[in-house]
Amino acid sequence: MKISWLPTIAAAAVIGTVIRVALFTPLEAKQGAAQKIFYIHVPAAWVAFFAFGLVAIASGVFLWLRDQRLDRFAESSAEVGVVFTSVVLITGPLWAKPIWGTYWAWWDVRLISTLFLWFIYIAYIVLRGAVESPELRARYSAVLGILGALLIPFIHLSVYLFSTMHPLPIVGKPSKPSLPSEMLLTLFLSLFSFTLLYFAFVRSRYRYAIERDAASAAHYDA
Amino acid sequence: MPRPQRTTMPETSSYYHVAYTLGLGIYAAYALSLYIRRKRVRSAR
Repeated sequence: MKISWLPTIAAAAVIGTVIRVALFTPLEAKQGAAQKIFYIHVPAAWVAFFAFGLVAIASGVFLWLRDQRLDRFAESSAEVGVVFTSVVLITGPLWAKPIWGTYWAWWDVRLISTLFLWFIYIAYIVLRGAVESPELRARYSAVLGILGALLIPFIHLSVYLFSTMHPLPIVGKPSKPSLPSEMLLTLFLSLFSFTLLYFAFVRSRYRYAIERDAASAAHYDA
Repeated sequence: MPRPQRTTMPETSSYYHVAYTLGLGIYAAYALSLYIRRKRVRSAR
């Protein structure tokens, strides 16, 4: 049996991270165990932004070069980005409930704009399924892929621009990270392992797109 | 003089367990969906 190394290493890294979070990372005094949701919520948000950022870059270059590989990559990264955003939208409310006393606040710009980002890339996937012509599909979805990513800087800055319950960044900020070293190490480990998982997913999804297109071409040739 | 009270850590582990179960469950379900889709497309060729 052939072993696929990237998914194996990514899975091992994620399992190692979860063990470190559970057994070797201290509990936060005020929040208790709920604070550990941080180590799955923040990496999922980082990977989602990274994935959609790459969708925008690949889509922009696709509109210039019309290389089908870029369209396939954008399609793959968008789908994986939706998976990671789903994790953000599920783990966030589960962390919010014991700390804020509510799962969701409809007036909170950070929460709503993240939900909108998820909707935009769901629409991206629906659009790809709805347009039959491969050329038109690639062009339309490239435009939507670029427009959707414009929300990312807005989401990041929303905690500074608006009154929100969501905390300010404690690592991705101009000053030094305000986190004890043991927690910081766990955070970096989780960022690394979930980014590795992103690459494993995208590689597999990209290969699926190649196989699907080849099967579709063979079907039309027959 | 009143004795200082010990602060107790809030019991929030159920949220932590549910968040990790659902989060990791979504990743596992997506990995499985990729595996099934690739298997189907290969058998269709």
